[in-house]
Amino acid sequence: MHLKLKSSTWRVLRFIFLGFFVLISIGPLIWIVMSSFKSNREILSSAFALPTSFSFSGYTAALDIAPIFKFYGNSIFISVVSTVLNVVVVSMAAYVLARHKFRGNTFITLLLSVSLLIPTAALLMPIYRIMTAIGLFDTRLGLILVYAALGLPTSLFIFKSYFQSIPKELEEAAYIDGAGFFRTFFVIVFPLAKPGLATGAILQFLTSWNEFMFALILTKSTEVRTLPLALNYFTSQFSFNYTAMFAALTMVILPSIIIYILLQEQITSSMVEGSVKG
Amino acid sequence: MKIKKLLALSLASIMALGVLTGCGGNQDAQGGSSAEGGSGDVVEISFPTHWVGVSVTTEWFQDRLAAFNEQYGDQIKVNVEEIAGDQNYVDKMKVLYSSDSLPDVINTGGYNLIDSMKDQLVDLTPYVDDELRTHGTDLCWETNSRDGKIYGIPFTRQVIGYFYNKDLFAQAGIEKPAETWDEFFEQCDKLLAAGITPLSMGTADSGWVTSLWLGAMIASNDAGEEFMNTIQPKDYNTPEFIDAATKIQQMFQKYTTSDAVGGAYENAASNFYMEETAMIANGPWMISDFYDTSLVEEGFADKIGTAMFPGGVMYNSGKIGFNIASKDEEKLQATLTFVDFLTSEESQVKMLEMTGETPAMEGVSSDNVKPLVNEVINNGDNATRCINDFQSLWYANVVDEISVQYPLLAQGEITPEQFAQALTDAAAKN
Repeated sequence: MHLKLKSSTWRVLRFIFLGFFVLISIGPLIWIVMSSFKSNREILSSAFALPTSFSFSGYTAALDIAPIFKFYGNSIFISVVSTVLNVVVVSMAAYVLARHKFRGNTFITLLLSVSLLIPTAALLMPIYRIMTAIGLFDTRLGLILVYAALGLPTSLFIFKSYFQSIPKELEEAAYIDGAGFFRTFFVIVFPLAKPGLATGAILQFLTSWNEFMFALILTKSTEVRTLPLALNYFTSQFSFNYTAMFAALTMVILPSIIIYILLQEQITSSMVEGSVKG
Repeated sequence: MKIKKLLALSLASIMALGVLTGCGGNQDAQGGSSAEGGSGDVVEISFPTHWVGVSVTTEWFQDRLAAFNEQYGDQIKVNVEEIAGDQNYVDKMKVLYSSDSLPDVINTGGYNLIDSMKDQLVDLTPYVDDELRTHGTDLCWETNSRDGKIYGIPFTRQVIGYFYNKDLFAQAGIEKPAETWDEFFEQCDKLLAAGITPLSMGTADSGWVTSLWLGAMIASNDAGEEFMNTIQPKDYNTPEFIDAATKIQQMFQKYTTSDAVGGAYENAASNFYMEETAMIANGPWMISDFYDTSLVEEGFADKIGTAMFPGGVMYNSGKIGFNIASKDEEKLQATLTFVDFLTSEESQVKMLEMTGETPAMEGVSSDNVKPLVNEVINNGDNATRCINDFQSLWYANVVDEISVQYPLLAQGEITPEQFAQALTDAAAKN
């Protein structure tokens, strides 16, 4: 009897605990989606009430006010390419710095990491001038390069520490079997470092996806601009359209959630696969 | 294995696309005005604007741009850059200024960039002929001039008082707006006693609505009026300023909503629209919202009255207009043609009708405006004390500092004297 009580108490506690996390995770998302169907007046008067009628006018207004689809495409493209670039290039640098002892190793690591301490505001003007001078102002490639570089110190830290945790013997075995330097890195080390690389890639993707200031300064045409800039179309100093803004936010977040739900199984299985092999 | 192949293929395609599209870029978009050459007989000029999205001026600008293109499209091409958000606009101008690549035309919507950027702005004095001079009153030109040189072409005036909810006033037994500040605070107490929050206030984005009350209180005597007409004051440790800051602290603590600390304009406006507060200080551009039933209840506009600040104070001043930073004579002439068009009488009348903004030109009026707009303009004309607003007058970093200091003042973490000192310290950095 005592045991039964204990287990049901535990179950209730577990339910409350998990329920709390579900609430704080998806509560704001549900609120945004719900608000996108309400009128401005409904949002202002009763923020948490259900919409009195489901109107899609917010969605049509959002598409009318800001070029969301164009910005969306640019955001996906720029974030994906800058993430791939960052992972490929920085992982190579991190591998050399983690595995090979040479003169200047510490200095180079320090030099690459120290850029983490420079505030973004201080980088704006020099990077703007460089991009203008080399003809990459107002291009997607310009933003890709800047974003890949912005995430460099963080990725370097993550990749370097992960490479250091991989046993050296695996690489030595590869060399004995006749693999060269590049083959050892790409065929042996790279797949083994997948969890570390994935962590760095996620952080890099999020940095690129959310970045606002460089996107504003380094571009001038709507052809190459990214999503964070679009959300400013719905509020200005003396006017706002909350319905359209929440509709735009829904359009921005829903695809990412759907993609995650669809790919969730594969993401989990790739993580588990690595650990079983190890 | 299949997934790996698919992944590799997609990554390779993305990289290839990246090189192709990225390198392609926008060939016509290289930096600021200096990099844009004319193509054939058409002179290209650059104009970044925040009149996009939900901005009250978007419709007016689209209308004027279409009209300009129809008239001058074969001679002048205006490359419009959309920068959503007023503050984002100012931030970008600061970066362009530090890189010596300001665009041909700048309009900040009231922020004063003349003092911090005038070395890169064109001195327009030789280009302002008698015809162009009629586009604004002397006061408007004065606001756009420094040391006798003209750096901006005006097209609107700043006329600001406050709006009050007549129904809520009646519920509290108040018959008409206060004529003195003592009477004003008595009315606030009456409203409180009737269960009504008297004021809409905020602290974010330089606490616009709050700072309007602050400026009006500073100007309650001659010295204060002079202070509120001084360009870039350095010393805020004046009796008038400290007294006004004391009252603002009291207003935060007693007479406003709980979301005022940290709140932006939209929070303050929402509270007024929802009839949760009885008064809000703002300009006539807000009036069109009083008729927007997606924001307010049907008939809301009929409940609203306009008032001068106690002591007959009104913001009634010139406003920073269009600044020009063209780098060569050909572009400058094209830019002047564009700005002349945007500030013409026709454009100013349309501005009044479409946005409620007060024209800079003397005697411009229209029958096609909401009655409240004309009431605000009349209040401006009949004011005893006319002052300018803080965003146009004070150093940009002082304006930024206000948002930092207001929450501290509101929560009693600093005294009004410390508030004044903090702004004085910020001004001293210039």
